[in-house]
Amino acid sequence: MAWAPPIWIYLWLAGMAGGGYFAALLIERYTKATDHKLLRLATYLGVPMAVIGVLLLVIDLGSPLRFWHLFTQFDIASPMSLGTWILLIWVIIAVVLIMLWWLSNKLSEEVVTSIKKLTGILMPIDFVLSILLIAYTGVLLAVSNQPLWASTALLPFLFVASAVSTGVALLILAALASNAISKGKLVELRICMNYLFGTTDWSIPEKVIERLAETDVVVIVIELSALIGYAIWLAASSMSGAGSALGLLTTGVLAAPFWVGVVLLALLIPLGLEIANWGKELGKKSVTNAIIASSVCVILGGLVLRAVITIGGQL
Amino acid sequence: MPKARLIDVSKCTACRGCQVACKQWNELPAEDTRQRGTYENPPELSGTTWIKVEFRERPGEWLFRAHTCMHCTEASCEAVCPTGAISHNGEVVIIDQEWCIGCGYCVQACPFHVPGKDEEEGTARKCRFCIDRITNGLEPACAATCPSGAITFGERDDLLATARQKIQTLRANGHPNATLYGENEMGGLHTLYTLTDRPSEFGLPESPQPATSTAWAQWLSGAVAAGAVAALPLWLIFKRKKKIESEVEGGAG
Repeated sequence: MAWAPPIWIYLWLAGMAGGGYFAALLIERYTKATDHKLLRLATYLGVPMAVIGVLLLVIDLGSPLRFWHLFTQFDIASPMSLGTWILLIWVIIAVVLIMLWWLSNKLSEEVVTSIKKLTGILMPIDFVLSILLIAYTGVLLAVSNQPLWASTALLPFLFVASAVSTGVALLILAALASNAISKGKLVELRICMNYLFGTTDWSIPEKVIERLAETDVVVIVIELSALIGYAIWLAASSMSGAGSALGLLTTGVLAAPFWVGVVLLALLIPLGLEIANWGKELGKKSVTNAIIASSVCVILGGLVLRAVITIGGQL
Repeated sequence: MPKARLIDVSKCTACRGCQVACKQWNELPAEDTRQRGTYENPPELSGTTWIKVEFRERPGEWLFRAHTCMHCTEASCEAVCPTGAISHNGEVVIIDQEWCIGCGYCVQACPFHVPGKDEEEGTARKCRFCIDRITNGLEPACAATCPSGAITFGERDDLLATARQKIQTLRANGHPNATLYGENEMGGLHTLYTLTDRPSEFGLPESPQPATSTAWAQWLSGAVAAGAVAALPLWLIFKRKKKIESEVEGGAG
């Protein structure tokens, strides 16, 4: 199997990093928030995820020391070449954003104003790149001749939905953790927070977290529909091997991880948990726990989805 | 004039001389395999097996086909290669072993499942059409060794003419579905086949497509999902709901 576990872990991490950034920036725009609280959390988590993902990719190369050959050409027809550049620029801009935000913790008002202008330009650029990044994780597989990946046009759609779903789940966990640290008594963690954000209170309003959970319900429904559409399309495809590729997932060797890991863990369990707590106040411990459990399921299920599809395509 | 090789399956006796000659000329190691209940061995092409005879049994007859790189004119491996290590000179598709990083994308992209990742060398490898032999006026090792004349090497146009004639003969002699494979597939293959039946009976795709043929549709699918569908729930819940709430609050106040 040419593409081993590092590949599907990478597709999962890059999707979650891009999906988190995508959702955080949209939420800021829609709510007209200017404090970048959610976006900074998404970026601080997304960059190490993307970097770890890239390291995994390099390790999986047959000749890891030659990885720099990737940067000697820009080939729009090769999704891997395009993805290399998308990822590189996304990470560089995100790192610059982190540095600028970090600097603005310490500098005078005047400098901060010009920094804000610069971040105001960089943030939307990285937003566009985050869309390309999460789409690319699906396109990479879809532009191939493996029936499970290439015989429909819905794999990128499915991966984008999953990326946004895992990204939103990541934002929920990050926001809850940030709130716990802000209100908690652990001095070390608050010192850390002060170092990163320039304040010991980086709490996200509970209303935002409740809405993130509601958003995930809708995104999961979209993901579920995409998965059903993908399965129907595979069954109807004229590409030889498409039908048996679908069989691998539904009744074949990958049936257990598919039904348990993807359908239950990534989709139905979180959907049930979140619908059961729809509209309830976050203050209650049981509601918070349900939202945490559902987010963890979404994130782990996203990994199983990448694993099942990546392995299944090569069988 | 591009060169090509023609594989006439009706002449193949599955002696596997081509497999051995290829291993010898290209100094490829043997593979450690297990008995799978067939003479066909190894199970598939790999980074160290560049040609192999496939065995298919039907009631009363065997279908043999030497499977190897097709040297496509529109080569998927070349199109997806992210480093430009794979090149096509009009007849031969070559993976530059000094430049390949072993990412494995060509392995996934090939409609014929030809390239293999060689873990020892750290690169993707496949048939090189014995480029070192043919540029020195020799035939590829597989063609040179073939004792039954099933694999022949020559000018592509000449081989196509021979193949067309052979198909006529086959059709007239109890093989109504005899097919010439490779004339137009993937922009024209440089490994041509005269098949005694339909391509699918020999494990060949009836209409192979370049991996990149749907690339724009795939990008569009991702963009639509992100742009419209993923943004929609966020808008509904964060923007619209906020508006409704403020209206309600405004009304109550």
